[in-house]
Amino acid sequence: MSINEKFSAIRKGLLEFLVLKIIAADRVYVADILKQLSATEFATQEGTLYPLLSKMRREQLVDYEWTESEAGPPRKYYSLTAKGREQLRETSDYWQKISGTVKALGQKPGT
Amino acid sequence: MNKVITINLNGNAYPLEENGYEALRTYLDTAARRLAGNPDQAEIIADIEQAIADKFRAVLSANKTVVVTAEVEQIIAEMGPVEDATGPAPEPPPAAAPGPAGAESGPAPKAAETGGTAKRLYRIKDGAMIAGVCNGFAAYFNLDVTLVRVLFAVLAVLTWGVVAIPLYLILVFLLPTAHTSAEKAAAHGAPSTAEEFIRRAREGYYQGMKTFHDKRAHRQWKRQFKQEMRGWKRSFRQEMRNHAQHWSQTWHHAWAPQPRPHILAWVLLPIISLALFIMGLAAAIAFLSLLCTGALFGVLLPHGIPLWIGLVFIIVAYHVVAWPLKSTRYFLFYHGTGGFGRPYGGGGSLAWLVFLVLLVWVADRHVPEFHQALYNLPPMIHQAVDSVRQWWDQR
Repeated sequence: MSINEKFSAIRKGLLEFLVLKIIAADRVYVADILKQLSATEFATQEGTLYPLLSKMRREQLVDYEWTESEAGPPRKYYSLTAKGREQLRETSDYWQKISGTVKALGQKPGT
Repeated sequence: MNKVITINLNGNAYPLEENGYEALRTYLDTAARRLAGNPDQAEIIADIEQAIADKFRAVLSANKTVVVTAEVEQIIAEMGPVEDATGPAPEPPPAAAPGPAGAESGPAPKAAETGGTAKRLYRIKDGAMIAGVCNGFAAYFNLDVTLVRVLFAVLAVLTWGVVAIPLYLILVFLLPTAHTSAEKAAAHGAPSTAEEFIRRAREGYYQGMKTFHDKRAHRQWKRQFKQEMRGWKRSFRQEMRNHAQHWSQTWHHAWAPQPRPHILAWVLLPIISLALFIMGLAAAIAFLSLLCTGALFGVLLPHGIPLWIGLVFIIVAYHVVAWPLKSTRYFLFYHGTGGFGRPYGGGGSLAWLVFLVLLVWVADRHVPEFHQALYNLPPMIHQAVDSVRQWWDQR
């Protein structure tokens, strides 16, 4: 089992956190999100992202608004709700804690 | 050679090769099945269809009007399998799932085939003057809304409002309003197939001119051009069918029995009709009196104002006063009394015309002055035309 496969569940679990981060930084639509993720280990596809965004909207973490685009039909632009920002903060803190733990564990005492 | 199937994704037509169509159908079926039970199933599917449509648009161009199977498969691979974020683990990948035979029995891809249709005529209330009819036409034909309004106003004046105003009200009633953003998008829409067809035909023609001296290239161009035109003819026909279907649906809605004849309507309708009749009569008499005697019921026009301005004024004044009454009457006709149907539409103006002719005939027989005036009518018209010319020359 390659590293890539071993971590697939973790990547999947982290995706929501990353999407929150991307949306918090800028008003984006789905193609923007995909593009930002594509260069990373978290590269994903529409088939995964649309259901995830719809779930996040149902949980009132994000909201969207139709915006006319210069080419083609109107697009859904996503933004964070207050609840979404709160969630992002909590997740960030938790992530800090986890990565701290990962770093700290297993080190020989005294070094 | 491959058969081409035209599909409709969120309101735009895309010609696909048959095998590509099957692949897409299987993909969307699988997606719908995996999202079964997800409260946002329809919305997610619509989003995914929109994303696929964007990708289709990217591979199509003036010289390439059909999405081939390999491209459809490539696009499906880019989209990735649809996974329900809420549900438990997704079902095994399609390789393990029953083949096309299984997909066949699954739910039909509803949105893919019966979703919206291409650009449609709607009433658009944003920035409308009255009810958004002109606005909708402007969006549909891609014209400036002011131009449409001016054309409409010219039509209204030329016909004394007999045609234009009822037409407007009928359209108000007939055209659906674009409420949702999807409908607004359809109203402005991507270019309709007809418009696009003309654009591509023109483009193809120029291309043909360019290859004119190279025999072989020209022959190839010709073949391709013909093929392209055939494809567009097909999607055009498809669009027309969709339009017809949509309109028949609208009509069904409109003429569905509305079993609540408002008692008020039965009382008000005759009163309004009578008032309109009297006003119309008064306007007609005032018009004739001004035309024949140069004075409005014995009162001369203020000095310096030509006769024709007085005539136009009477027409305009009549319509301004009558319009609210007329629209009330329309409202009562169509919303107040269910079974009353639509006899007014064009019949009203016809009846009005017949009445006018009858009135002139009776007056001609029984009122000597009127007969005399009618006899003198040609000089009167000359005079009116002269005054217009004078006014024009003075400018």
